[in-house]
Amino acid sequence: MLGGEAAPARARWLLLAPTALLYTVTFLVPLILLLVFSVATWDRGVIRLGFSLANYRDFFADGVTAAIFGRTVRLAALITGVCLVLGYPVAAFMRHCGPRMRLVLVVLVVSPLLTSVIVRNVAWLLILGRTGLVNTGLQAMGVVDAPLKLMYNELGVVIAVVHVYLSFMVLPIFGALISIEPALEESAASLGAKSWQVFWNVTLPLSMPGVAAGCTLVFVLSMGVYLTPVIMGGNFVVTLPMVISEVVRNQFNWANGSALALVLLLFVTVLLSASARLQRRGSES
Amino acid sequence: MGEASARGRWLSGAVTLAVLIFLLLPLLILMIQSFTAESHLSFPPTRYGVRWYRHIFTARDWRGAMSISLLVAIVVTPAALCLGTAAALGLDRGPARGRRELYTLMISPMVLPHIILGLGLLRVLLWLGLTDTIVGFVLAHLTIAVPYVVVMVGASLATFDRAAEEAAQSLGASPARALWHVTLPMIRPGLIAGAIFSFIASFDEFIMTYFLATHNMTLPIQIFSSLSYDVDPSIAAVSGLMIIVTATLTSLLVARGQVLGGGKAIA
Repeated sequence: MLGGEAAPARARWLLLAPTALLYTVTFLVPLILLLVFSVATWDRGVIRLGFSLANYRDFFADGVTAAIFGRTVRLAALITGVCLVLGYPVAAFMRHCGPRMRLVLVVLVVSPLLTSVIVRNVAWLLILGRTGLVNTGLQAMGVVDAPLKLMYNELGVVIAVVHVYLSFMVLPIFGALISIEPALEESAASLGAKSWQVFWNVTLPLSMPGVAAGCTLVFVLSMGVYLTPVIMGGNFVVTLPMVISEVVRNQFNWANGSALALVLLLFVTVLLSASARLQRRGSES
Repeated sequence: MGEASARGRWLSGAVTLAVLIFLLLPLLILMIQSFTAESHLSFPPTRYGVRWYRHIFTARDWRGAMSISLLVAIVVTPAALCLGTAAALGLDRGPARGRRELYTLMISPMVLPHIILGLGLLRVLLWLGLTDTIVGFVLAHLTIAVPYVVVMVGASLATFDRAAEEAAQSLGASPARALWHVTLPMIRPGLIAGAIFSFIASFDEFIMTYFLATHNMTLPIQIFSSLSYDVDPSIAAVSGLMIIVTATLTSLLVARGQVLGGGKAIA
């Protein structure tokens, strides 16, 4: 009707143009600049443009950065594991709920996500801090004499990050569970499989695409947390994003900071695209 | 099977209940504490009142941050709605080839570390001389709000029956008229959801603004810079206010969703 393929193609570009323009300013040009700065050299406060891989070499060779990267990976993996253990049962429960109950649960699970990261951290400060609710409560009941160290360590960071990213685990798993034909499980059961065998051999494998998607998402997002480790971890938990912020905002070392940012970006992008490819292959087979 | 399955159901129900308490209790406790009438936070407060809410509406720094936050969100919401809706229409109407890749690109700010986006944007805005300005904040917030609109409107378009729009055009309506009078009213749920999520995304945004702000502060940045070892009651009140704003907007969305679900059930 509109003259073959050419017209819709042109209309598409026209409609995408405003957003493309925005992303060029806030996304594309910034990335190019980071790339340029990451191969520049920094000499006591002065950036010299050029081509040097020293910033990337330092990442692996200075003995500190690679270790912090490793610790960030470990923290993200820990957060992902806790989200999986807590999130799977919630998704499984939602599967057997009525539509209204499901809606309520989705809203409640997503609610931390709709709350600003700073507000959530203030809330956890009030609960886990030295004079927070848990410690004053336990001390008043005489359970403990000295306040427990519930934050300014990894525990506090994991609690506060799981609080918000749990939804990214629950929703994909729920999506996978809801698309499983109940008949498959029923026939397995009618053939004599015990209920845990049905779960282990039928339900769990069929929900794996959701588990993989949820784990990737939570892991990737956890690699980028900045504010929560700053507030909940004090100076005792250092993540790669904290280092990036420190290097750029306080040392003004854009060369080093850009290289760190790009390594993180590359790592995250590779993970996301590998996961997406895996998902697609799963859905096509 | 029945007995063991019931046990599984019971277990998942128990975990779900515990998780819900874990998710909601912190924000609930913050809300309760924000209504203290004392000069220090304690739980439960011995006296309740809106003392600290009155304080944040009169104190100069909180008022300033509040008006900047509101101004930015009010500019970002319609702008993100226009850009995101156009992009979603472009993806929906364009040729299938490359659609998935373009969609991924359009929503990528959702999953990429915001610290990297903030860092890169700071670099550009330093050159443009736009750091610490409302324009800079708007650009940052638009980048994270547009993907929400693309997702929400895109989902609405996916269920939208093109026949109505084509009928309008075959009856002589111009494509623009058909879009305005047929398509947009039919995808209204997606538009409303996109607008609400855009507002919340802008109002809540922390990390990108944090990189850009030095004197001009949005509410989240002002909270962070006033945060010290002990939480001040005014911080609790501002946090409470932010929860009230986002919760009100979210419940609007949920209420509409239920109305819509009811309508579908009748039809």
